[in-house]
Amino acid sequence: MNRRRFLEAAGASSVAGLAGCLDALGFKERSAYAPPLVENRPDAVYYPTHVEAMTVRQIATDGPYKCAFTYTYPHRFWLVTGDRTNKVSIQPDDSIHAMPIVWHEETGVVPPNANPTIELRHDGEALPSNSPWPMLSQPMGVHFGDNISLPENGTYTGTVTASFTGTKRTGALADAPDRASFDLDFTFLKERRDGLQYRKLDNAGDAGAVEPMTMKKLPNTALPESLPGESVGEKKSGDAVVDVRRIADATRFGGRESETYLAVSLRTPYNRYPLPLTSVSATVDAGGDTAFDGPLTATLDPDLGYHYGASLAADDWSTVEVQFGAPPQIARHEGYETAFLDMPAVSISP
Amino acid sequence: MSDRGIPRREFVKSAVAIGGASALAACLDRGSPDIPTGTTNGGSLPERQHAWNDVLSTDDAGNPVAPRHRVLLLLDYTGDVPTSDDRETVENALRSLERAYEWSDDGLLFTLSYSRAYFDRFDAGPEGVDLQRPEALASFENPELDTPDAVLHLASDHGSAVLAAEEAVRGNADSANGVDTTGFGDVFDVVDRRTGFVGAGLPAENDDVDGVPSGEVSEDAPLYMGFKSGFKGNQASEDSVTIQSGPFADGSTQHVSNIELNVDQWYEQDSRYQRVSKMFCPAHADDGLVEGVGNNLGQSSAMGHCEAPEKAARNSGVVGHSQKMTTVRDESNSPLILRRDFDSTDGGHAGLHFVCLQRGIGEFVKTREAMNGSDLSENSAVGQRNNNGILQYMNVTNRGNYLLPPRSARALPTPTGVPE
Repeated sequence: MNRRRFLEAAGASSVAGLAGCLDALGFKERSAYAPPLVENRPDAVYYPTHVEAMTVRQIATDGPYKCAFTYTYPHRFWLVTGDRTNKVSIQPDDSIHAMPIVWHEETGVVPPNANPTIELRHDGEALPSNSPWPMLSQPMGVHFGDNISLPENGTYTGTVTASFTGTKRTGALADAPDRASFDLDFTFLKERRDGLQYRKLDNAGDAGAVEPMTMKKLPNTALPESLPGESVGEKKSGDAVVDVRRIADATRFGGRESETYLAVSLRTPYNRYPLPLTSVSATVDAGGDTAFDGPLTATLDPDLGYHYGASLAADDWSTVEVQFGAPPQIARHEGYETAFLDMPAVSISP
Repeated sequence: MSDRGIPRREFVKSAVAIGGASALAACLDRGSPDIPTGTTNGGSLPERQHAWNDVLSTDDAGNPVAPRHRVLLLLDYTGDVPTSDDRETVENALRSLERAYEWSDDGLLFTLSYSRAYFDRFDAGPEGVDLQRPEALASFENPELDTPDAVLHLASDHGSAVLAAEEAVRGNADSANGVDTTGFGDVFDVVDRRTGFVGAGLPAENDDVDGVPSGEVSEDAPLYMGFKSGFKGNQASEDSVTIQSGPFADGSTQHVSNIELNVDQWYEQDSRYQRVSKMFCPAHADDGLVEGVGNNLGQSSAMGHCEAPEKAARNSGVVGHSQKMTTVRDESNSPLILRRDFDSTDGGHAGLHFVCLQRGIGEFVKTREAMNGSDLSENSAVGQRNNNGILQYMNVTNRGNYLLPPRSARALPTPTGVPE
C-alpha cells in the first residue's frame, strides 16, 4: 500500500487536519507539529512518531531538469557533522517546511548534492534567501528542506537555482547542464497547510520504515530493485546496506574497457534510498595482491543512481573491504537520525 | 526625529546607513566627536592609498583593528576621455578630505579605485596590472557583475566623519570637520551607495534585519558570523599586495563583492560545535580551542592544529573555512589577499561587503577557488556547500574588480598612469 492510499484508508478517525484542533487546544504554531520523540530510540532505522502529507504547489522546468516546489508543516530534523547529530527544533515563526525537489527528468535521478537556493518575493519585498539542507526522510528519501517563515497568506514569486557540479556524473547526467534555474509563483495559504493530513503511528520506535510515498508527478528516489552489474556481496554497517557490485567495462565511468568497475551502493534498509555525502573507501585484494586501496568517488549514474566507485585493473577479487571515513552527512528526519552514524568497515568475500 | 532612548553609537551607525545631510546633521546634533584635522602637505601621506595598517590601532594581540564605519560610493565618470580639468577637480576634492581629516581610523581613510570597464574608453587595460573583468566564481552563484567606473571607499571609526566626507565629495557641503572642502562636481555620478560596519558590538547592535536572528550575535563579535576575523597571520601584508613596477607601482587591485548572509541557520540550527568546525576546523571544535569569538587565539587562527583539508573532509565529513584558506599561500607562506571587508544592513538584509586587496585579481580568484573546495566536495562526505566551510550561509549578489592606483595616479588615470 503506498502512502497516499494508506492515508486515505486510515479514515477520519485517525487522520485529522490540524486546523481547529490547534486553536481548541490553545496551541500556537510551534510544537504541536511534532509529538515528543519516542524513548529509547534504537541505533537503527525506526518508525517515526508521525507522518504528514505534503502539498505540491508548482512544477517548473529548465531544460532537462524539473523542480517541484512542495511543502508541509514545519519539521524537526537533525543536522549531521562528522558522527554528531544536532537536533533542529521548530521555531515560533516557522511557517512551512519548504522542499524544492529538483530532479533530472529523463533518468528520474534527484542529485543529492545540488544545494538549491530559494529566493522569494512577496508584496514587492525580497525575503531572505534560503538554502535548504540535503535531507533524508522515510516517505520522501533524498530531498532538500528547511523550515522557513512566510509572513502571511498570499502570492510568492521567485526562483530556485541549483548547481550539479559537486558530484561526478555519467551518461545523460554528465551531458546535462551544470546549472538550472526555475521560476516560482505560488500561493501560500495557512489554511491549506493546516488541512494537510497528519497521522500518529502506533508502532513508533519499532525497527522499520514508513513506505516511500508515490506521487504521480514526482520522482521516486528509491533505487531500482535491479541494479547493473553483479552483486559481489551485501552486508550492513550502522544499519545501512552496503552492496558491493562488479561491472565489466569501466568505460562508462571514466575507466578503460579492460578495467572492471567497483561500485558500492550504500543505501537505507527497507526503502532503498541512496545514502549520499559519505566518505567511502575500499581495499580490494585480488589473489593476494592489493588491487585497490583508496577513496571511492561519489558518482551519479542514470542506472546505478548515487553510488561510490572506482575502476580496477583486476577482476578476480578475493576480498573487498569497504571503510567509512565519515558517515552520511545528509540531514535526517525522524526515524533516520540514530542510524548510519557509527559505521564500522565491512569485509566481503565473493 | 526623536532619539529618546537610543544609545549614541547605535544612532551613528544608523545614520551612516541612511546617509545624507539630515542624517549627518542629526548625528552631529548629538555631540560632535573631537576628530583630528589633516594635513595641507599631501606629499607627507603615503604613496600607497591602501597604506592603512601603520595608522590603525591594534588590539591586545597586536592585530590591526579595522575602521568601524564604512561607505562605498560606486561612481560613473560623466565624460568620455578624462580631461585635465576633471582630474584637477577629483584631485582637489580628495586633497580637501586629507586636509579635513587626519589619515587614520580616528580621522578618515579612503581609497579611489577604477574598474576594467573604466579603462575601456582607452581601448586598453591598465599597464602591468592583472585587472580581470568580474565573473561568477562558483557554479552555484549568479552575481550581478558590477561595472561602475570607480569606487570610493570611505572608512573611519566615526560615523560622522564618513558621512561628512561623503557629503563633501558629493558637493552637498562645502566643509567637513570645520575645514573647507570641494566636491567631485559633475565629474562623477553616484550610481550606488553601500554602507556598513565592522568591529566588536556593531553586528550585535545591528541584528534587527532579515537574515540574522535577534539577540544571537555575541557583543564581542566584529562580524555577524560571530567570530574574530582579520588575524594578522591570516592576512597578506600591505607589501605583498602592492604592485611592484610599472605606472601603477605602489598600487594594488581590489575585489568588491556583496554577499547576502543567512545566519538564521547558523545560529538557530547549527550547534557551537558545528560553527567552530565550519569556520575554523573540526579539530578546533573537538579540542575546544576557540573561546567565545576567538580573541584567545591571538594573532592567528592556529591552523597548525588542523588537519589538511582533504584529510578533515574524508575523516570528519566537514572542512573549516580557515582550514581551506591555508592551501593558498605565497612562497613565504603568506595569504594572497588582504581583507578589508565589513558587514551591512543595506536593503534591510544582513550582508557582507567583501572588500579585499591583492597584487592581481588572479590571486583573489585562486583564493576563492580554494574556498569553493570543489575537489573536496567531489572526493569526500563534504558537500558542494554542506559542511563545506561557510558556503551554506552565503549568497553572492555582486562582484566587481578594480585597480587601486598609487596616490599620485588616483585621479582619472589612463592605462599608463596620470599624464604629467
